[in-house]
Amino acid sequence: MDFNAFKEAVIAKAEAMGITEYELYYQASESTGVGAFQHEMNDFTSSLEGGVCFRCIVGGKMGYASTEALNPEQAASIVEKAADNARFLESDEQVFLSEGGKTYEKLDFTPYALPTTDELIRSVMDTQEKLYASDAAVIDGCSTQGLSGRSEIAIYNSKGLDLHYENTMAGLVVASVVTNGKEMSNDYQIKLGKLDTIDTEKLTAKATEGALRKLGGDPAPTGQYPVVFNSEAMSDLLATFSGIFSSGAAQKGLSRLADQEGEVIAAPCVTLVDDPFHRENPMPINFDAEGSPTHKKNVIEKGVLKTLLYNLKTAAVAGKETTGNASKGNYDSPVSISPFTMYLEGGELTEEQLLQKAGNGVYINSLGGLHAGANDITGDFSLQSAGFLIENGKKTVPVKSFTVAGNFYELLKNIDSVSDHTEIPSAMGMTAFGAPSVLVNGLSVAGK
Amino acid sequence: MISREICQRVLQKAVATGADYAEIFAENTVNHTISMLADKVDAIKDAVVTGAAVRVYKGLRSVMATTVDTSEAGLIRCAEKAADALGEGTAQINIVLRESIFGDIHPVKIVPSSVSNRQKIEILKEGYFAAREYDEAVQKVTGSLLDVDHNILIANSEGLYTEDRQIRTRMSIGAVASRGSDSQTGFFGPGRLGGLEMFDIYTPRSVGEESARQAVTMLKADYCPAGTMPVAIDNGFGGVIFHEACGHSLEASAVAYGRSQFTGKLGQKIANEKVTAIDDGTIPGAWGSINIDDEGTPARKNVLIENGVLKSYMIDKFNGRRMGMESTGNSRRQSYAYTPTSRMTNTYIAPGTDTREDIISSMEYGLYARNMGGGSVNPVTGEFNFAVSEGYIVRNGKICEPVRGASLVGNGSEIIMNIDMVSDNLDLGQGMCGSSSGSIPVNVGQPLIRVSSITVGGR
Repeated sequence: MDFNAFKEAVIAKAEAMGITEYELYYQASESTGVGAFQHEMNDFTSSLEGGVCFRCIVGGKMGYASTEALNPEQAASIVEKAADNARFLESDEQVFLSEGGKTYEKLDFTPYALPTTDELIRSVMDTQEKLYASDAAVIDGCSTQGLSGRSEIAIYNSKGLDLHYENTMAGLVVASVVTNGKEMSNDYQIKLGKLDTIDTEKLTAKATEGALRKLGGDPAPTGQYPVVFNSEAMSDLLATFSGIFSSGAAQKGLSRLADQEGEVIAAPCVTLVDDPFHRENPMPINFDAEGSPTHKKNVIEKGVLKTLLYNLKTAAVAGKETTGNASKGNYDSPVSISPFTMYLEGGELTEEQLLQKAGNGVYINSLGGLHAGANDITGDFSLQSAGFLIENGKKTVPVKSFTVAGNFYELLKNIDSVSDHTEIPSAMGMTAFGAPSVLVNGLSVAGK
Repeated sequence: MISREICQRVLQKAVATGADYAEIFAENTVNHTISMLADKVDAIKDAVVTGAAVRVYKGLRSVMATTVDTSEAGLIRCAEKAADALGEGTAQINIVLRESIFGDIHPVKIVPSSVSNRQKIEILKEGYFAAREYDEAVQKVTGSLLDVDHNILIANSEGLYTEDRQIRTRMSIGAVASRGSDSQTGFFGPGRLGGLEMFDIYTPRSVGEESARQAVTMLKADYCPAGTMPVAIDNGFGGVIFHEACGHSLEASAVAYGRSQFTGKLGQKIANEKVTAIDDGTIPGAWGSINIDDEGTPARKNVLIENGVLKSYMIDKFNGRRMGMESTGNSRRQSYAYTPTSRMTNTYIAPGTDTREDIISSMEYGLYARNMGGGSVNPVTGEFNFAVSEGYIVRNGKICEPVRGASLVGNGSEIIMNIDMVSDNLDLGQGMCGSSSGSIPVNVGQPLIRVSSITVGGR
């Protein structure tokens, strides 16, 4: 049965059980993926995915249940399970469902037409050849993936909310593998958008350049240095620690930013923005996972924490309005809090000027082990890094297999300056991160 | 789940355009999670994952189509999609399915879905409050009890028609110890391929206490000094070093495409002679065990490295074609929605002959890593990293003060040469491993080992 028929069956079951407050969250996607290896297409996938999450308030508590099978038995079963789960909850936090009748910002985009399967395959095979042609050092092992899909979200609740969102997405992922005869290295690039608007020459060249610059190089010498993170590395670091801006984490005592709104938490050159409509994000959206309207806001403005990110529940606890940042990792996840496109605003210096300011230090363009070497509760990080030495204000020899360590809360205060160009390196879904190059004073480097 | 007759018709449809192999993977999984926060049951969630994937191969090309509609009509549409994408041709094989029962070597005594929320909450609370009450510094605790009932059906054009049921249970307790504005965390999350009888082995209390002990210990710790030094890595989850530094690079998904440091190295010495490493999906009740893999190949015990010499890779059927090698029973996927590929099961360094005392007393100055966090690797370059969640400085052969915030980085092929002492106290630790075919349960393991030299990131 389709979502609408399933919805009717769920409503009937809920009514029969005397449940008056409930919500259905539906997410579905249809996607095609094509992969090339050597000079042939080696894999093709076509997926239909999706499911429904039902949540309901019983005795003041919110129970959840979800399913991928849209049939009458499951419609009844998820209502029963969610109600049973609610009965065992002990948390006395208030729970909320969104009121209907809100005004939403008009979205300034129309979903583009997706490529046909043949067009997708042709584009992948053509890009794969460009990848081989991008440098003589490129070897077998390099690959190109193409993707194309349509996704859909719907939220319906007992308070009159009835929202629907649909979008299309296509793109290319190129992974370059290069060798200098002694060792191999690799790098990848992602570009989403209508396939005929993607500059594949540039995309493949960028991936290969990234791989080439990682060849050779020793660990950086151990010590304390000024460090320049390029926009990719800084975006990764911001993504890793973005959870500290969640009011949910703050209220649970898992972020040090609790009670810091209005206080200076970063250097004056730091302005951090969250924008649900950013033009480089492939999934601009005007409602969040609870159905609240979304809007652009400054999280940090010139070093001052203006607001944390809220959903309905955490806003009520703080006596504030939601910022429209309710999120769900997947349709079956509980409601949480996430940014949309979160980025550090650029400043006035060029990257060259930033390097000159650093004098002697380390330039980092790649961070690894972000899920392991960073603790978002304490803010401590110790991360595998690669990049260049900075000597007399210039990038010189490549360095790799060393770590950079510090604390993210302290790092925010120790940002000396930011470059003039913010990039959003890999916007793949609703949440994306961006940053300019950033100069941070006094970080620990461990290498040789 | 789906009858043999329907599978036969679906596979026949899948090979209609000339595929030389076709497979159906169908799944019905129920995940149940209870979570605690701020001393209260905070969330209870049921999630049903159900669907099917049809894969066809022709030579070195693979096509997969997935669907949530597991009716015969839905499966036939899915098979048609796969067959169409493969190209034009005519059927080369005739499908005749025979049912196979591989047997279950992982008996489950207490099936979690038969136990009420009330009883599960009692178990979780015992672990939760053991952490909470361990020390007054432990001010915040998070806890969860997860049980998964994963039912799979696999049928393929070689005639296989079989099913398996994998029931897993895991309790995770995270503790945050605080003094002033300083906070440190601890985590322990043991799990088994089995039911609630796992708490006979890991009492809920011991789970909570171990998590709290780590957090409280680290609260007393200073930052780890940075540098290159010998490191002793303890047993259990310490095995994550082999998992990252070497395991991923021995998966066919990297090896078959030349994207591994160890491509073409079978029979060669790639590790210190002290190192024998094994991937064993057959350990009864172990978190990473399986009766059959997700292509229906029975799990087995594969010796990967024997006394330093590379003996075997971990291989799935599709990548095995490119390598001209048989599957080793390592094909795994998170769910039907992911294309399966070669993955680890329970992977460990086998016990050696050194003793714990030998190893610690051999170190003049170095790091003793008692507990490890996660890590990651780039198999192309072999560069890996992982975090030390509980470390101590070793001075003059004695374990001294605890240190925090350390991570270890290096190159896989160099590090396994540097494992120069291996003790005899093998233990396994549980984790979730993320890769292209999704997040799957795996065990890592080893006895206490010494790495003669490695870069320690700290400050």
